[in-house]
Amino acid sequence: MSTATPAVHRLPVPGFVVALVLAAALPPTLGAALLSDKYALLGSKACVFAIAALSLNLLMGYAGQISLGQFAFVGVGAFTTGVMTGVDQVRAPWLVGLVAAAAVGALLAFLVGLPALRLRGLYLAVVTVGVAYACWQSLFRVEWIGGGSAGKVTPRPYVGETAIGSDQAFLAIACVLLVVVWKLDVNLTRSRIGRAFQALRADEQVAASFGVDVARYKLLAFTLSGAFAGIAGSIYGTAYGTVTSADFAWSWSLALVVIVVIGGLGSRGGVVAAAVALVLLPELFIAVFGEGIRGIDLILSAALLMFTIARHPDGFAGAIHHAREERARKRGGEPPLPPTRPNLPALTRPPGMPQAPRAGRGVPVLHATGVSVRFGGLQAVDDAEIRVDRGTIVGLMGPNGAGKTTLFNAVTGALRPDSGRVVLLGRDVSDLPAHDRAALGMSRTFQLIGLAKKQSVHENLLIAQHLAAPYGVVSALSGVGPSRWYERDLRTRADEVLEGLGFQHFRDTQVGRLSHGQQRIVEIGCALVTSPELVLLDEPSAGMSPAAAEDLAATLRDVRDRLHRTVLLIEHNVPLVLDVADELYVMAAGRVIADGEPVEVATRPEVVTAYLGTAPSREEVLVP
Amino acid sequence: MGGLAQVLVLGLISGSIYALFALGVVLIHRGTGVLTFGGGEVGTAAIFLAAFLVDGGVIRLPVLPDIDLPGMPWAVGALGAITLAVGIGLLFERLVVRPMVGRDPVSVSVATVGLGLFLLSLEFRLFGESPQQLAGPVDAGFTVAGVIVSPTQVVGLVLALALGFGLQAALRRTDFGLGILAAAQDPDAVRLVGVPLARISMTIWAAGAALAGVAALLVAPTVGAFGPGYASELYVIGLAAAVVGGLNSLPGAVVGGVALGIATSAGTRWLSGLDLPGLQYLIVLAVLLLVLLGRQTLPDLLRRLEPPTPQPAPTPTEARA
Amino acid sequence: MTTPHDEPLLVLEDVTAGFGPVTVLHGVSFEVPRGTIAGVFGLNGAGKSVTMKTIAGTVEARSGRVLLNGQDVTRLSPEKRVAMGMGHVPQGRQVFPGLTVEENLRLGAYTLRRRDRGRWPGALESVYDRFPVLRERRTQLAGTMSGGQQASLSVARALVNEPSIVLVDEPSAGLSPVAQLELNEVLQTVADSGVTMVLVEQNVAFGLSLADTAHLLQTGRVVHSAPVEELDEATLATHLGIGSVLRAATGSALAARQSDVPAQRGGSRARRRAS
Repeated sequence: MSTATPAVHRLPVPGFVVALVLAAALPPTLGAALLSDKYALLGSKACVFAIAALSLNLLMGYAGQISLGQFAFVGVGAFTTGVMTGVDQVRAPWLVGLVAAAAVGALLAFLVGLPALRLRGLYLAVVTVGVAYACWQSLFRVEWIGGGSAGKVTPRPYVGETAIGSDQAFLAIACVLLVVVWKLDVNLTRSRIGRAFQALRADEQVAASFGVDVARYKLLAFTLSGAFAGIAGSIYGTAYGTVTSADFAWSWSLALVVIVVIGGLGSRGGVVAAAVALVLLPELFIAVFGEGIRGIDLILSAALLMFTIARHPDGFAGAIHHAREERARKRGGEPPLPPTRPNLPALTRPPGMPQAPRAGRGVPVLHATGVSVRFGGLQAVDDAEIRVDRGTIVGLMGPNGAGKTTLFNAVTGALRPDSGRVVLLGRDVSDLPAHDRAALGMSRTFQLIGLAKKQSVHENLLIAQHLAAPYGVVSALSGVGPSRWYERDLRTRADEVLEGLGFQHFRDTQVGRLSHGQQRIVEIGCALVTSPELVLLDEPSAGMSPAAAEDLAATLRDVRDRLHRTVLLIEHNVPLVLDVADELYVMAAGRVIADGEPVEVATRPEVVTAYLGTAPSREEVLVP
Repeated sequence: MGGLAQVLVLGLISGSIYALFALGVVLIHRGTGVLTFGGGEVGTAAIFLAAFLVDGGVIRLPVLPDIDLPGMPWAVGALGAITLAVGIGLLFERLVVRPMVGRDPVSVSVATVGLGLFLLSLEFRLFGESPQQLAGPVDAGFTVAGVIVSPTQVVGLVLALALGFGLQAALRRTDFGLGILAAAQDPDAVRLVGVPLARISMTIWAAGAALAGVAALLVAPTVGAFGPGYASELYVIGLAAAVVGGLNSLPGAVVGGVALGIATSAGTRWLSGLDLPGLQYLIVLAVLLLVLLGRQTLPDLLRRLEPPTPQPAPTPTEARA
Repeated sequence: MTTPHDEPLLVLEDVTAGFGPVTVLHGVSFEVPRGTIAGVFGLNGAGKSVTMKTIAGTVEARSGRVLLNGQDVTRLSPEKRVAMGMGHVPQGRQVFPGLTVEENLRLGAYTLRRRDRGRWPGALESVYDRFPVLRERRTQLAGTMSGGQQASLSVARALVNEPSIVLVDEPSAGLSPVAQLELNEVLQTVADSGVTMVLVEQNVAFGLSLADTAHLLQTGRVVHSAPVEELDEATLATHLGIGSVLRAATGSALAARQSDVPAQRGGSRARRRAS
């Protein structure tokens, strides 16, 4: 397996510029002789579908938000351009129409995204269907928007006094826009924003633990996706000159879902290839086999969608990727296994992050008091207090259902307790959301591994540094400005941790393909990569062999003694806790029933009883 | 005042069709957690077959001689339509749902998008865009509040009410029906008492598809001409009705359907001054958003209508972020 | 019956199993003779629950075999296994909350009613005789009953199908002490009536009060199997991997059990095994 990153190869001229020049020059050069009007127009349509597919891919593939009405935004773009440039309406230059299309598409998508903050998954999908119908059946049929039954007439752009009338020349514009959107998409996925989307898709709680503001990034995903779709629509309307509401029927939204799923959710190349294929291939086949086969394409691709979802959930791109990985593995043999006892690098707090306030001596790193959480009729946590001092390892034990993880969630902000205060490094964070608490210097792991399983080890280490690179959308999309130097710093850090963990050979391996124990180590690496003051670990040894658990103990001591970090640890492995903890809390039925020196606490009768249970006897139960 | 009565009658008529579609949506969602987006086209495909059987026609086969099919009675067409719907439901369950056991219901829901598009493009391919007609079984009708009500519309309303408020009780009578109700609450526990989950899944998908077929059949005479994609335009309102009704409650589906029926008929009558085409879809979207964002007040109210069924996965946990 | 009676009712042969990339069981083997209660003990993550799921068939074994009544059921669905005589008291006492007590029992007897409708009234009566509280509440919705009553219903739902073996998964988890006591007494009477059981328990003391044989699991392997009477606290503590901390608790539980066995229950158990 090659560990060299493709990004390192730098041509003297960036590939983007080459693509741009080709896109602009090729169609007009071919001319009408080699590229008939019909196919030039079809080429523009392929660009439309490719950009629209990228927009849906951004939403569904990156950020994990389902939209079954994406073509409505394409329609919004088309009609906006029509209104802006139409001879009887605003009569603005085409470029203004294009920008307006992106802006209105973004605005509408933003509005659709607002319910997404409250709704999940299928409910949101129903809302997007509703929006698609409302646009197609109602808004797009309004005379001044959709031009009525005759359709909306959109003039071609002008250069000086001459219109770009030829379909070949317009295809060049469409191709250039496709290359630009592609490039924006590339920049986006390589930025903190794209990575925040990936974290969102994996798990919202995990994303928040890395400091991702879930609501903000969901809305951002909708907005950007709407802008891309608006651009696609602008090209669509202009290429054909006249479009009607029927061109944006709901079924086209479904076709877009087909394209994105078959191409492979999250795979840029896959969805663009699928979009281009779905537009061009049918016409090519019809040219060869005659009109008799018209309409079979959609039947086949819809069938292919069902087949893909049922048998190859990662789509074609995923299937190709797996096959390539498999071949590389056969050729290179198995890479050496990483050590189970990693050598974590001593990192400083990244400059982009808020520096942890230097709390005075005697001020605990974490002090939670009076925390109570109720789920329906169950008192999950009952007036719990926990205090963690700097540079210590504090253990938290208790039988299943004692409320340990719930207390963790209350401390990290993953849930709002019914009462209680949480003070982090001397600051009351009780009212802060999870991502703001993370920013102050707290990171955590999860019982079921809090990583983006479909992303590589390296990408996860970058996702974990979300807060270390506070640059904005413009820099992320353009790939210039602060994102450049922040990203360089991020990558250096990720590589350092990668090396410290001994995972160099697994740099580009999907996390989900690692063993459970390896995932656990990567997760701990992610928790430490921003060098937070406090690390909360939720059952890190679960699923580990006894030998690996011993190595884990050494790692934890290393974190405390060499990296000078503070650890709060939920653990069921009693020997491990007794071995490493400086202080031990025991919870049962939502209450903290004991705390103090670990071995002493562990042998207290009430702890033994709570933890190991007793055989009930009539006397004990019934006699008070 | 006559206006109000008319709005109510028209609302009940269209609402009962939304309700029938919604019942199919709810049945499948309750049993499997899947939202079916392709159900409308199951209905359209069914009435295409019904119209073909009723009108008669020529089936051209390659090689073999053409088959000249005589026109048949409405009942035969209806039977064929429902058989086709059930067949589609069963095939989809067997070929797509079954291999996905244990996967996220959202993935299966996306697969139903494929089913819808598949049927839609098949209809285009076989029948083209020219509109088809399917008359009702009888031409009779009577007038209520100035609205001519046809027998199929009455059947639709009665069926919707009966299924919404009676299906659950009916299911309790048989062991297998009990299994279906229990599977909705806890599929794993159902396997552990020995009820074959695969057969429950088949039954649910077949029934959901049949409901879409029945709804499309009953509404066809009201609407008149239809073409590819036609039932989907009503089905999406049924989908919204199911969500408005709480997604897990059969009575809720009926109330949601009727509520949307009345809301759209009221809107198209009293807001006609706005001169907006497709106004009903704007109204449906507005109601949908109000209910979903208003912390699901309607379903919470409806829960009291249903016999107190503690539901394992009540909608709010899923809907609230 | 063609199967000889001295053949164990349930056999696990070198079973490996897990979820996705995680292998939880690394070759688990044990036998459950007719009329006995096998207790499977271990800490969290030791593989108790996966063991149970593999026996039930909700998790498929990656290798090895599961034999029920001498027949290989390794590749059979959970439903088929139930039809072959396996009964379940699932973890968390999953009764069907929206169904009445009697509907729960009717569904519990699903395979019995299909095989032989005539046996249903008798089976229902015998369960009602054993759990009079369920007869009183036959039309009540199961979800509205107390935790202890739901636990009884869960056991009754398994028994009404007249199973040859009952799998009881973490019966004590999440129950109040009073409900634990109720359930313990219910399981005791079921045990004494000769029903073969496999019992998985995190609460070792609770489990030891019921089991005849203990199988101790650690990181997916059976590290020790022995009759409960022969267990001592040191063995338990060592093999469960919890060291000295456990000794106090298990010591007292074992002492209670060992004074209990010969006097009250050894006799009935011995009779059962002989039959």
